[in-house]
Amino acid sequence: MSPVTFRSVRDLPPMSRSTDTMLWNRTGSWRFLRPRYQDKVAPCAEGCPAAEDIARIQILLGQGDFEAAWLRIREENPLPGVCGRVCYHPCETACNRGEYDDPVTVNSLERFLADHAWKLGLSPPPPEPAAGGGRVAVVGAGPAGLTAAYFLLRLGHEVDLFDAREEPGGLLRYGIPEYRLPLDALAWEVGLILNEGVRFHGNRRLGSDLTWDELSGYDAVFLAVGTWKPAPLGAEGEEHAQDGLTLLEAIRQGETPEVSGKVAVIGGGNTAMDVARSLLRLGAEPAVYYRRRLQDMPALPEEIQEAREEGIPFQTLLAPKRIEPLPQGGFRLVLTTMEILDEDEGGRPRAVPSGHPDVEVEVDAVVTAIGAGPSQGAPAEVTGEGLVAEGLHLKRIAPEGEWAARPPVLVGGDLVNDRKAVVTAIASGKEAALVIDTRLRGRDATSIWPSIRVGRKGGVSMNRYLSGDRAAQQDHVVRYDELNTIYFRFQERRERPRITLEERRTGFDEVKMRISASLALKESERCFHCGQCDQCDNCYLFCPDVSVLRDLRAGTREINYDYCKGCGVCVVECPRNAMILEEEPR
Amino acid sequence: MRRVLEGSHAVSHAVELARVKVISAYPITPQTHIVERLAELVADGVLDARFIRVESEHSAMAAVIGAASAGARSFTASSSHGLALMHEMLHWAAGARLPVVMAEVNRAMGPGWNIWADQTDSLSQRDTGWIQLYCEDVQEVLDTILIAYKLAERVSLPAMVVLDAFFLSHTYEPVEVPEQDEVDAFLPAWEPTEILDPADPHAFNQLASPEYYMEFRYKIQQAMEDALRAHDEIDAEFGRRFGRSYGAVHRIPCREGERAPLALVTTGSVTGTARVAQAALRQKGIGVDVVKLKLFRPFPHEEIRRVLGPYDRVIVLDRNISFGSGGIFASEIRAALALRGEQPAVYPFVAGLGGRDITPQTIESVVARALGDEPPSDILWEGLKL
Amino acid sequence: MPIELPVHERMYSGHLACPGCGAAIAMRFLLKGLGEKAVLSIPACCWSIIGGPFPYTALQVPVLHTAFETGGAVASGIRAALDARGDTETQVVTWAGDGGTFDIGLQSLSGAAERNENILYVCYDNEAYMNTGVQSSGATPTGAWTTTTPTGSPKPTRKKDIMQIMAAHRIPYAATASIAYPEDMVRKVQKAVSLKGTKFLHVYAPCPTGWKVPSEISVKLARLAVQTRIFPLYEVEEGVRYTINLEPVGYLVDEYYRTQGRFKHLTREDLDRIQAQVDESWDRLKALARIG
Ligand SMILES: Cc1ncc(C[n+]2csc(CCOP(=O)(O)OP(=O)(O)O)c2C)c(N)n1
Ligand code: SF4
Ligand code: SF4
Ligand SMILES: [Mg+2]
Repeated sequence: MSPVTFRSVRDLPPMSRSTDTMLWNRTGSWRFLRPRYQDKVAPCAEGCPAAEDIARIQILLGQGDFEAAWLRIREENPLPGVCGRVCYHPCETACNRGEYDDPVTVNSLERFLADHAWKLGLSPPPPEPAAGGGRVAVVGAGPAGLTAAYFLLRLGHEVDLFDAREEPGGLLRYGIPEYRLPLDALAWEVGLILNEGVRFHGNRRLGSDLTWDELSGYDAVFLAVGTWKPAPLGAEGEEHAQDGLTLLEAIRQGETPEVSGKVAVIGGGNTAMDVARSLLRLGAEPAVYYRRRLQDMPALPEEIQEAREEGIPFQTLLAPKRIEPLPQGGFRLVLTTMEILDEDEGGRPRAVPSGHPDVEVEVDAVVTAIGAGPSQGAPAEVTGEGLVAEGLHLKRIAPEGEWAARPPVLVGGDLVNDRKAVVTAIASGKEAALVIDTRLRGRDATSIWPSIRVGRKGGVSMNRYLSGDRAAQQDHVVRYDELNTIYFRFQERRERPRITLEERRTGFDEVKMRISASLALKESERCFHCGQCDQCDNCYLFCPDVSVLRDLRAGTREINYDYCKGCGVCVVECPRNAMILEEEPR
Repeated sequence: MRRVLEGSHAVSHAVELARVKVISAYPITPQTHIVERLAELVADGVLDARFIRVESEHSAMAAVIGAASAGARSFTASSSHGLALMHEMLHWAAGARLPVVMAEVNRAMGPGWNIWADQTDSLSQRDTGWIQLYCEDVQEVLDTILIAYKLAERVSLPAMVVLDAFFLSHTYEPVEVPEQDEVDAFLPAWEPTEILDPADPHAFNQLASPEYYMEFRYKIQQAMEDALRAHDEIDAEFGRRFGRSYGAVHRIPCREGERAPLALVTTGSVTGTARVAQAALRQKGIGVDVVKLKLFRPFPHEEIRRVLGPYDRVIVLDRNISFGSGGIFASEIRAALALRGEQPAVYPFVAGLGGRDITPQTIESVVARALGDEPPSDILWEGLKL
Repeated sequence: MPIELPVHERMYSGHLACPGCGAAIAMRFLLKGLGEKAVLSIPACCWSIIGGPFPYTALQVPVLHTAFETGGAVASGIRAALDARGDTETQVVTWAGDGGTFDIGLQSLSGAAERNENILYVCYDNEAYMNTGVQSSGATPTGAWTTTTPTGSPKPTRKKDIMQIMAAHRIPYAATASIAYPEDMVRKVQKAVSLKGTKFLHVYAPCPTGWKVPSEISVKLARLAVQTRIFPLYEVEEGVRYTINLEPVGYLVDEYYRTQGRFKHLTREDLDRIQAQVDESWDRLKALARIG
């Protein structure tokens, strides 16, 4: 469009009157700053070891497209129903909304999406055929192994998934109590993974039913057999104590263990909580003994809180010293009183004997839940020296000695993770799949690592891996002060409802109930969608130059640089920092 | 129909006959009777129009500009200070090419306050782009309003119909009031094309850069030149339909078929006085041809040269003054005559300012002075208390 | 939540407003609120330039550019002509700056309001004569620098309370609006259009150029003006029924003043004095109003 010119007075209208529009005037030439859409990393996504694109998931959820939101989770994590129940949700700790009022209940929304899919019997579309071409053995069918198998298959490899137990699930299946993770929910989600073509082989314990010779026939091995071996208590008479995990497994198998009366549960982690709360439900009177303070317990605060709500007493700054069987049955548990001296190098409070008199209690049983060592059959190399770093949640057995001749053996899950959790195991599995895939394609895994990591501290993203350079690759994590919070309203965080205390004390029904779709929508509204365009249209609306073009049907928008003067109003008015203003390229 | 009408009411009735749609005005003596009567006509439903009772003349002119821009035949009336206050908007109306018609009652400008006849108010608006028509009597006032609409609408310029304070505005005279159907035939509804219309949206009057401003001014000048011819045609058509026409420049010879040695140029109601004086002078054996100038803008240069050129001496009687120059009609006439090789001697008399009577004696006096030894000069005062 | 506004766009790109101009944003919202049938009259102001020179226009509605002080009168005339044509539907809108409203055009606006002309008069307020290069107007706030109130002697007096003036005319509807609150503004335009008689909208439209602020914060400033109670959003019906549309957060005026070059000479004491003025005005408004 070019400006109109009149050559002769005869052609002019009688008075100054428009014959044309201003569209000829390409005001884009005034611009020295250029606004641009740029999705950034939400802190939740960086906080999530599985690198779920939470902001995007919340956008989809908010639009009522629950299925798409669920599938979006599954791009990074095949176990949202599990995580939505048992994850320690570091996403919520990182959530920007926490600085505004309270974090978004990302975890409960994740469960909502999975449950929604489960309830409707949705199944994900079959994976696109991919030319991976490798054969991979995954040893251990816990969250790490399942995740590795899931992604490897999607990347086009053949996967054999081995486990020592009969059924897949590992800790999820055999270690976590029903009231936190119902078996049917787990079975559905595991089923989705296996249905995609993973070959599962149960009752194949490494070292006895599964040999390294057999494994050497594969192109790669991922080892994630967990840490089931009880750790020593370091107390006199500890042989009288029962192992917590074994107990939990028995309960999960439907057995009623012979533990009753007063039970001392030793430990402060989630297993201790699980044990104590399971025993309570079986009619025993558990009490928790822990060597540090309440606030030092590694268990999830909400687990501790729920245990206490249920009436389980907590005794802290007490370390077991001796377990003495009593003649009339039962035991005397002698505990050293402790005090906190300082912090060790890891920042963990160091407890030392306080010098105060010991404490003695008489109990019917003592159960330990104080962490565990590598499961039976795991090669010795997995305990430190023999491992080399491979990823954030992944190690590899150094290819030395006998290992030099074997295919690469990657190790993940609780075997290597500092923070032993379901979601970190999932991260291990994903990293293993990525590393194996890149290796099998003859590429160097370390070179792609930076581009697929979410944020600077976050996990790796399969989505980024698959979309290659295209998603190049913002690692700017949106800070709270980069949001335009005026566009948000204070809204109360909606915790998921729970069953009654009475029900909790007497049975294994799931404690946390489902949330309704309307509640989920309401809660999802609280999400700021940090760094991700959710089509709020502020950019379009406030543009003084009508230079934000919308495709209403496609739900997309773009800037018309023919006219955009680069004022930057759109960038400032974007509530969620999904735009940037940068210098106009000359 | 013959009726005895006050000059102001002749205006009002002409406006009614012209089927004006929007009237906006602000009162000022001696224009008040015009608007009062119009307000009544509208209130009584005799005139199907909207009367916008504005808070100032500036707004009155702005309102009719708005109305005309939206395609309504519009009218206002003012005088003196009111007209001066409109000044900015007079330019605007002309520049926007809006055929607004205004009755302007010639009244002196203060200070001191003076409500009586004087032409300086309208002549000060000379350069605004308005057609200016000066009337001699009440009949001419009525007729000229109708002529002005037709002319204004033909050339898309606003027109001012000028009548003297009190001598015309407040004087009753018998008037032939034309029938409505005859007026309708002469002056059909105005159907402009360049108007504000949501169905065909344009911006009007927006910034005109040096690239085009001059062309727009040229177009106004052209329209003014067209108006000269158009006036004669319309005046002639009016004559055919109603039996009265006036001419842009009208020579009233002392003796039919002859040319007197002296011409006396008059405007407005003074022409009537001049007719009386002409007769008296004829009795005394002094021949004076009266030349009535009706159309001041556009200025009929050619006609002036044709009519006045042949005289030895020309008196111009100005009831106005441009300070530091003199009578305004006189200077325009001299400028027009300058294009002729041989020119009459022009005697520029200023008289009757601020409503001082111009009587037949005044006219006899200026004639005597022009015929005597007094040399023509840039300005001559008549009736001054020396 | 996306803001739901009419999707139609009656303003073209390519207009001549400075980058980030609040007056351009305000025009977009006005046009979104207006129906299909509207006529604009624009007295001299920045929009006389923004709209484009001959032979162009930046708007898809008819516009009559007019002299500075004629907003009320010209609209009255257009209204009368449309009524005479039998078109009572088309909304006649005057779009004037603060100078054209608070100062030179106040008389003709008052006249129109007194006659209760069926028009919508919108004043976009950028708190000075911007077209002519940032001279002080009756809308310029206390303490502001303008080219006629230089920093050595910034504007000593308060901003004229145009809303009170309009309310005193007992017109059916007067409301404040802000470019930071599009939904509110569009609703008010729509409400105004639905009413007969004189409607007045006072729209806050920051001018980055004249206020000496970066272009990108113009909407943000408008919002701050509301949230500091410097420019509360409210409506007055029939001159007496006051409704405050949004309870401001009540940030201190510093939040607003500190970001602007035109106020940078102000001292702590100046700001305290201004805060007191703002508090006093707000209390007075609250006493008149219900919160809606
Ligand atoms: C009678 C008259 N006086 C002065 C001007 C010069 N003038 C044009 S626009 C303007 C200022 C307009 O200020 P405002 O109404 O606040 O609008 P803004 O330019 O700020 O948008 C002035 C003084 C004019 N056009 N007419
Ligand atoms: S508000 Fe939403 S996107 Fe932002 S950190 Fe929290 S959950 Fe993530
Ligand atoms: S001077 Fe101010 S109001 Fe005028 S166009 Fe520029 S930004 Fe807009
Ligand atoms: Mg202004």
